[in-house]
Amino acid sequence: PEETVTSSFAAFIHAVRPEHLSKTVCHRSKRMILDSIGVGLVGSTTHVFDIALQYCQLYSSVAVSSVYGKPGVKLSPTLAAFTNGVATHSMDFDDTWHPATHPSGAVLPALLAASQMLPPGTKPNGVDFLLAFNVGLEVQGRLMHFSTEAHNIPKRFHPPSVVGTMGSAAATAKLLSLSAAQCAHALGIAASLAGAPMANAATQAKPLHIGNATRLGFEAALLASRGMEANPSILDDIPGCSGFSAFYSVYQPKPLSTPSDHHEFLLEKQDIAFKRFPAHLGMHWVVDAALSVRNLFINYAGSFSPSLIRTIVLKIPVSKYINRPFPSSEHQARHSFQFSACTALLDGEVGLSSFTESSIHRQELRELLDKVVVEHPEDNVANFDKMYGEVALLLHSGDVLTGKCDTFYGHWRKPLSKESLLKKFRSNASHVLPEEKIETIITMVDNLENLSDSSQL
Amino acid sequence: VHSMDFDDTWHPATHPSGAVLPAVIALSEAFPQKKKISGLDLLLAFNVGIEVQGRLLRFSSEARNIPKRFHPPTVVGTMGSAAACAKLLALDQLKCKNALAIAASYAGAPLANAATQTKPLHVGNAAKHGLEAACLASQGLQGNKQILDMESGIGAFYTDYNPQALPTLQSYPWLLDQQDVAIKRFPAHLGTHWVADAASSVRRKLVESSDNLLPLDKIEKVILKVPEVKYVNRHSPTSEHEARHSFQFVACSALLDGSMSVQSFASENVHRPALRELLCKTQLEHPPDNTPSFESLYCEVSVILRDSNTISDRCDTFYGHWRKPLKKEDLEKKFQSNASSVLPAEATEGIIETVYNLEKVEDCSVLSTFLSGQSARELSEKL
Repeated sequence: PEETVTSSFAAFIHAVRPEHLSKTVCHRSKRMILDSIGVGLVGSTTHVFDIALQYCQLYSSVAVSSVYGKPGVKLSPTLAAFTNGVATHSMDFDDTWHPATHPSGAVLPALLAASQMLPPGTKPNGVDFLLAFNVGLEVQGRLMHFSTEAHNIPKRFHPPSVVGTMGSAAATAKLLSLSAAQCAHALGIAASLAGAPMANAATQAKPLHIGNATRLGFEAALLASRGMEANPSILDDIPGCSGFSAFYSVYQPKPLSTPSDHHEFLLEKQDIAFKRFPAHLGMHWVVDAALSVRNLFINYAGSFSPSLIRTIVLKIPVSKYINRPFPSSEHQARHSFQFSACTALLDGEVGLSSFTESSIHRQELRELLDKVVVEHPEDNVANFDKMYGEVALLLHSGDVLTGKCDTFYGHWRKPLSKESLLKKFRSNASHVLPEEKIETIITMVDNLENLSDSSQL
Repeated sequence: VHSMDFDDTWHPATHPSGAVLPAVIALSEAFPQKKKISGLDLLLAFNVGIEVQGRLLRFSSEARNIPKRFHPPTVVGTMGSAAACAKLLALDQLKCKNALAIAASYAGAPLANAATQTKPLHVGNAAKHGLEAACLASQGLQGNKQILDMESGIGAFYTDYNPQALPTLQSYPWLLDQQDVAIKRFPAHLGTHWVADAASSVRRKLVESSDNLLPLDKIEKVILKVPEVKYVNRHSPTSEHEARHSFQFVACSALLDGSMSVQSFASENVHRPALRELLCKTQLEHPPDNTPSFESLYCEVSVILRDSNTISDRCDTFYGHWRKPLKKEDLEKKFQSNASSVLPAEATEGIIETVYNLEKVEDCSVLSTFLSGQSARELSEKL
């Protein structure tokens, strides 16, 4: 076999074993699994989820896989993956990595659906499951390192639709124990199913990106398992005929080391950010900054009095799709620096209810939004590792109060504590599940390595 | 439809029909019994799907040449399918817009899977995903209303992108009116059709009658002057998919056999020693004036003999190209030859009849019935 980048990926996926996982990687990835499930559960209460589910129920062929939040409802495996993926990203509440993508939503739903699909007697155990999950993450991370473009907040293609599809194919190929050649073909087929443009971010269609990433990657692995073949050098850079490189203007692939050498998973060095409220990651800096200046303001004025404020200045990085002065839908609101700042100022917190129709359209909020002015300091780079958020209140009295946030709570530099993560999970899951089920999931994920049949999850 | 690379090709380059027809036929079968879709409805929806593809292809100058990055059917084909299905579903304007927006998020597959078994999925998925987008839109899902306007919309698939609004419906200038499609005579990449015609003509000059075998040992070299298209440049193809994407293979096949057919790509033929021997003597040249565009490319085949004589011929426009379209008899012959491999004669006749008179057909589900292999007699009993 030639030493191509693609074959090194296929070899990695095929040959990596649970022993290769480190403690840190296990720990972090289990946190991600828990968060992702919770987010998917609460996501099952959204309108976009309803549309996706109704659509999938038209096709009831081999309905064996479960759907978040809908006990008794089953769909065919790839459609269950799709629906659950849509749920996971429906509120933009899911995890974010660096370089930027939403890794778990693209992988977990496919694995859950696949484990239900496998016949009894061949069910993967918790360790297999955890390994496959990490293969899915690792492949996504490695692919993003092939292009410098990927380090900044995206402009052209929505990363989950590019690398997420590949990650899902890799993870499912691992769970299904495909041969190395089949793993390569799964990646090749998946590339032909990847790639959605950014323009649908901040619309109701955005959750489809994760839904399709996880479903189509899964499909690619299934097709590969049935013998379908694709270009064996899909990840390599072949001038004149684009493979995976088609999605980037600069692309420099590198082979993966085989797991027998000391392989360090990317998750070891680079943790994930978990969101505290359901909005684009960029909003989290601005909210923490707004909360900090709000405290200053309350100390100054005794209470939050908007009439004292002349102008609100936001210092944010340049990123068109999250700069919206007057969002009119929940999807737009989740992608609006202005909205997040004003909500935080007004309410002292941002949560699920901040994005309801009535909250979005309230008069007091509109008045505050009117006072907002946006600035793009040169040192504020559109990059989740480097950006900051600054909120300044210019008062009628001439005084200026400022709050700045370099690292919000939940960012990989300041990770959520176990309690905070569990609090988020319980809050999300309680929308659709009873308490005992919630606690069972928490225990099961925490002890994933000891689970004998992962389809129980 | 795309499994053998036998389907139609347009200019700017894409395979328009395969991305649209399967979706509209499937959709027409899904309507409840009492709602009949007429042949005219089907024909209109089909044309909407084709037109949208053509218009989108004109938004980028990159699209005029043979692709290098994304396989066009996966970009514009998905959009065309969404448009056609939205039309057939009679969606309102807003939902049509959303169907396009949603479809964009399914569009785009890289070219590297051409010449592999995965390539046919490109057209299959274009049709399927476009249909899915239209269905989701009809259920109320919304996307970006400016999906065709923004660089970060469909523009993401091109390095230069200049969208334009469509002309008004008042005497609408359909692209298919000004620019016909090319229909293939054998199942391989369109670029190889120029090669086949030139090579067949050279062969006729080389042997007295088509019964004579090609004098292999008298041939020193075979030189092909073709445009530079990396994914069709394969010196030694090993699978049928690779063979369909190889200038060299088609040239040698046509030289050996006199013409190309579906059989030319069967495993025995791909691997026969005479062909392999001839392939070893074949090389490509890329004259700078041979631009990689289906509108302007040419092919010159030169066979250099051991006694230094050279026999060559050049093909500027192959038979089946839009400048030299297939005659009605030849189109029907291709159809019959293809269809008869799986359908009975009555069904193939029925399909030809139905399609020719599509505007007058009241209920286009007759087409689906023929496709499923039932005869006209069974059909009228059913009705």
